[in-house]
Amino acid sequence: MTLLTTMMERPLDAGYQEAADRREAAGLPKATSTQTVLVVVLTLLTGFLFAVAAQSLRPKPTAAAAVKKELVTRIEALQQHGSEQEAKVAALGRQVRDYEALALQQSGGPDLTSTIKELEVEAAAVPLRGPGLTLTIDDAASVGGDANAGSRPDSGFQEGRVTSGDLQVLVNGLWGAGAEAIAINGHRLSSTAAIRFAGQAIVVDFRPLSRPYVITALGDSQGMQQLFEPSFAGLYLSQLTDQYKIRSTMAAGDSLTVPGDPSARLEVARPLGSSPPSAPPGSPTGSSSQGKRSAPSTSTRTSPGSATSERTSP
Amino acid sequence: MIPVLGLLAGLAVGLFLDPSVPVWLQPYLPIAVIAALDAVFGAIRAILDGIFNDKVFVVSFLSNVVVAAFIVFLGDQLGVGSQLSTGVVVVLGVRIFSNVASIRRHLFRA
Repeated sequence: MTLLTTMMERPLDAGYQEAADRREAAGLPKATSTQTVLVVVLTLLTGFLFAVAAQSLRPKPTAAAAVKKELVTRIEALQQHGSEQEAKVAALGRQVRDYEALALQQSGGPDLTSTIKELEVEAAAVPLRGPGLTLTIDDAASVGGDANAGSRPDSGFQEGRVTSGDLQVLVNGLWGAGAEAIAINGHRLSSTAAIRFAGQAIVVDFRPLSRPYVITALGDSQGMQQLFEPSFAGLYLSQLTDQYKIRSTMAAGDSLTVPGDPSARLEVARPLGSSPPSAPPGSPTGSSSQGKRSAPSTSTRTSPGSATSERTSP
Repeated sequence: MIPVLGLLAGLAVGLFLDPSVPVWLQPYLPIAVIAALDAVFGAIRAILDGIFNDKVFVVSFLSNVVVAAFIVFLGDQLGVGSQLSTGVVVVLGVRIFSNVASIRRHLFRA
């Protein structure tokens, strides 16, 4: 306590008082001048010390911030480059298809245009427009709205959050109800697309999605709705809404569009007639045949792993 | 007046020259600054009390800085450098506060 008391009550160096007493005893004035060489030198030194300390200890924001800024600009530039290339791929794909049609016409062989068109629809290579359903599902309102794509949530599983499994069930239900083409948030589901998760982000065909999730399914909207609602996926959806307060709305539309899958490419080619065609020819686009319906639905049901290996092997 | 000018001149020189401090000296800089502040405020209070003494000022300044640096150095060697730094900052901070309070009483009579 003595220490604290002296510290609090007599903070001034006792030396000052003692020196003053000595000088008084010697018949000098108590205080010396404040303008002696010693004092000036020491004040110079003090100022110098302050300046140096301030300059050398101030956190230098330059290094880390500059690196981060550069990374951000590079990411943005590359993203823009990527979308430009994607658009270019789409344009070139259209051109290739035009040339194909032209070559087919000129070769004078059997008219394969309708077969090719149909196969392209099934392979999700071309954009489509038509009547259908939009199913919008979103995380429960209680879940924080900061779940952007690419952000890393700090906590673990949250109940009110839409998972990739939910999307898988719903998409399979829509295929089962007769959807002919499905896109999620503008990403067309081809037969090799997988709905997966990375952390808590939902990844469709290796592109992360951000909420809300809009599933666009082309097909006979009334028939699909009638088939979907009593099915397992429909019950699953109402269960999600009841138990976890996941928000969902379903709306029918007359003119919905789904884009083509820009990553679709030729992997296998066979001369015509040497083996049976991979899809049954016949029914034109718009009317759903049983064979068409089953093909995509089984492929979405395949495990994500197999779809991945198929896609990553060039 | 001249000491204040000296302080400003020292600041200007330090800012202008911007010398690079060796890394081993950097942990002692904040402590040295606090110790110097303590000595400066003690001197101002002594001036106002009418008992300023230049030798005492110089000696208290140097001993403050050296002792504070030594305590931090010792703490670093013993592995408690940050705790001892905190202790030094607390003690000197209390001294600075009460010196400034005394100066305030002198200047504003409040």
